[in-house]
Amino acid sequence: MKLIYSHLQKFLPTLDVEPQKLRDDLTMIGHFCNFYEEIENEIVFDFDIKINRGDCLGYYGLARDLAVLYDLPLQNLSDIEIPKSNYILPIKVETDNVTRVMAVKIVHIQNKKSPQWLQKFVRIHGTNSINTLVDLTNYVMFMFGIPNHAFDTSKSTDNLVWQMNPKYTEFKSLDGTVLPINKNILMVNYARSALSLSFWGGESCAIDDSTTNTIIEFAVYNPSVVRQNSHQLKVTTEAATRLEKFLDPDLIPSAINYLTKLIIENCGGSIGSNFYDYYPNPIESPSIDFDFDSPSLISGIDISVDFAKKTLTNLDCVINENFVTPPSIRKDITIPEDLAEEVIRFYGYNNIPTNQPLEFKSVKNITPAEIFLIEQTKDRLVSEGYDEVITWPLVSTAVDQKTVIKTENSINAEVIYLRQSLIPSLKLQLDQYNRYKLPNPKFFEIGKIYYKEADKYIEKFALGTYDGSEFKEIILDDLDKPKSYNPQDINNSAIELTSQIITLDANVVSSGPADPKALIKKYSDLIDPNILWSMEITDIFENKYTFRVSYYNCDDKTAKKIHLDTFDLN
Amino acid sequence: MAELEAARVELLGRNGLLNKLFSEIKNQPDPKNYGQELNQLKNEIEELLTSQKNSLSDKSEKQLPASNQDQSTSKPKKTAFSLPKVGHLHPITITERQLNEVFRKLGFSIYNSPEIVTSEYNFQRLNVPANHPALDMQDTIYIQEPQYLLRTQTSTIESYLLQQENKNLPIRAAFPGCVYRNEKVNRSNHFVFHQYQAVVVDKGITMKDLIGTMDLMFKTLYGKEVVVRYRCKYYPEVEPGVGPDMQCFNCQGKGCVLCKYAGWIEMGGSGMIHPKVLEMAGIDHHIYSGFAFGMGLDRWTMAQKNITDIRTFMGGNLAYKPNEL
Repeated sequence: MKLIYSHLQKFLPTLDVEPQKLRDDLTMIGHFCNFYEEIENEIVFDFDIKINRGDCLGYYGLARDLAVLYDLPLQNLSDIEIPKSNYILPIKVETDNVTRVMAVKIVHIQNKKSPQWLQKFVRIHGTNSINTLVDLTNYVMFMFGIPNHAFDTSKSTDNLVWQMNPKYTEFKSLDGTVLPINKNILMVNYARSALSLSFWGGESCAIDDSTTNTIIEFAVYNPSVVRQNSHQLKVTTEAATRLEKFLDPDLIPSAINYLTKLIIENCGGSIGSNFYDYYPNPIESPSIDFDFDSPSLISGIDISVDFAKKTLTNLDCVINENFVTPPSIRKDITIPEDLAEEVIRFYGYNNIPTNQPLEFKSVKNITPAEIFLIEQTKDRLVSEGYDEVITWPLVSTAVDQKTVIKTENSINAEVIYLRQSLIPSLKLQLDQYNRYKLPNPKFFEIGKIYYKEADKYIEKFALGTYDGSEFKEIILDDLDKPKSYNPQDINNSAIELTSQIITLDANVVSSGPADPKALIKKYSDLIDPNILWSMEITDIFENKYTFRVSYYNCDDKTAKKIHLDTFDLN
Repeated sequence: MAELEAARVELLGRNGLLNKLFSEIKNQPDPKNYGQELNQLKNEIEELLTSQKNSLSDKSEKQLPASNQDQSTSKPKKTAFSLPKVGHLHPITITERQLNEVFRKLGFSIYNSPEIVTSEYNFQRLNVPANHPALDMQDTIYIQEPQYLLRTQTSTIESYLLQQENKNLPIRAAFPGCVYRNEKVNRSNHFVFHQYQAVVVDKGITMKDLIGTMDLMFKTLYGKEVVVRYRCKYYPEVEPGVGPDMQCFNCQGKGCVLCKYAGWIEMGGSGMIHPKVLEMAGIDHHIYSGFAFGMGLDRWTMAQKNITDIRTFMGGNLAYKPNEL
């Protein structure tokens, strides 16, 4: 998500921290900030929101964390007096998948192109500027993290109904996309027309420059219904991203107040209805039995009870002896360990020493014997000159259609079967080596094979080898296993071949008998090790030595030139 | 020829003299030198045996009538010389063994569990309820949706470990494993990749133990100079969660293309095992606590071996020089 420093300051007017420090501090307390940059004279941060922190999908949630970290006051932006109106909105909610809805009608507005600051804000957030009213609804969604929607009441009427899809077979979204829908879709409608999905507005009641009367609404839903709907329709919107998380219904009054204020400030008009509020079952925050010593016990460092209490109080937790009630905006805090994490992250993870690892302790060894066998087998094969390869566990063809296990949704449609034998995969590996003209390949793989047996999924460790002439495979699970094995300390280089290996011969006539090993040393030293693959003497006849030299990662011409130079064949 | 084979077995066979000498390598004052000398000895013996064998086969070849030898296709095998072919481990195995060694020294077992698992072991036992947004963190390959799938993370092995060993407390176990995601195969993504995880359950385990142990591991793997920071991070199976980031080795934290201008590279995930995860495994979280951490191995190993394409690793054009020249 993007975060514009100057708009963060609307909640934190006294915030004055270097961007780099802010980036690092946000990251350390759990909001991984990739980078910041200057866009259109604004400092803009880019960061990942923890999946359990739906509250931080708005500037407000992050501002609250920073207020605690830097001990700064939070500005209340929702400070307008709402005049009372006698008109009661005829809104209905017919599904219990709605947690809370608030709505208000604003009349006699003059909608128009957005002011520059607003256009810039939505642009930086990756949204197209439409008009002032639409852009303001997006602005407040980004600021408070609660999605909302504005209806043009000349098209929608005031009789909005929140319901599960009663009859519609399709829905036309704001951008004109037509989606087929079924009865599982949560919608806002009126008697004669489908108006909006829970997370995407519809074309039929879209706001345009001629809109004069509007109903704005904020809602929090059963998050799993929004998630299911968004998955079913394969549509992700900024609203869906937020609504599928646990949002705070108690934040809606502040958010709707702020949006109302901004609309009247920017578009004129006045409030034309009561504030409709449907909230039949207010959600109570849990009261958590908390040991104030637990941050120390969990972190392993000394964090005072006073610090713990101060931090939780600054986070707006209510402390009643050893019971702590988190604020409603923090839906992620449900157990004592969550509270401990709050204390520890504000104390600073960087205060935990990094140089005190666990010490050795003798505990029961539960290593399965097959692991010893695998390690031992690998060492033996390597000592016999075999190279280890790893091939794909998913393959394109079944060895036995009756027992093969098939994947259901692999997006790599060409490989949908779990392999039943290593050999076809090792054959592909050999083909690959042959394509690169690798001389004398000799390799092995230890990996799983899989099959179905009486509706059970079976997997076993297999060893497959290629010794230069034939492939062999055995099942390791069937062999005797050692009780223990300490693998050898092997480290070796590996090379990513980027072109074919080029193999060339050369005859060298010596003045007398020579040591072949010394000859190989002499000539191999003349060639750049980054292109010399291998060198051998394939024939010794009297004083004539036939060399076979392989070159890699270079083209034909280069290899030939080096070869001619090295063996003085020009 | 038979005598020669007997000599080979006696010297180079599985229970041969050389292997016995190799097995004593750890008791030597200078194991590295000892090993090098032994390897040299081994090569010399091999050479000797090969040249003896070649000269013997020469003799037997000579006894054949000349007409049986196809001069045009058979390689001239009168005399030849090549260095013995050396075998190699896959780079992933090497990294796994380095990590295993760090943890074996601390008393850890090495563990394993199936790759085809139920959703229960891959998600629910790790505190990810069905239909939870955390499911979106991973694209799962299903065998039979929604019940059977290919494990998406080594934490799944942790589910098995905690459930199967809940009577064998304390637990110290580490495990490499391949895991699956529904990703299109290209230069930088694969549907199968390698992770490493370590899990401890004991009385009084703290974040200090976790961070200290992780740091030891990173320093062993990446060198003493590596700078790692530990920050707050979310994973459903841990609370509190800890994310280790390595200072970018390319730009020393200044920000570059490699680290996406963050200056840091995310190394994996970790934290104190969530009390619900312990509870689901039948372990009393009021008495025991534990930590878990997991990290990917492919990217690090690729960087170490200058490999730029993840497809090289698996069934690809990864090769090893047959011997050091």
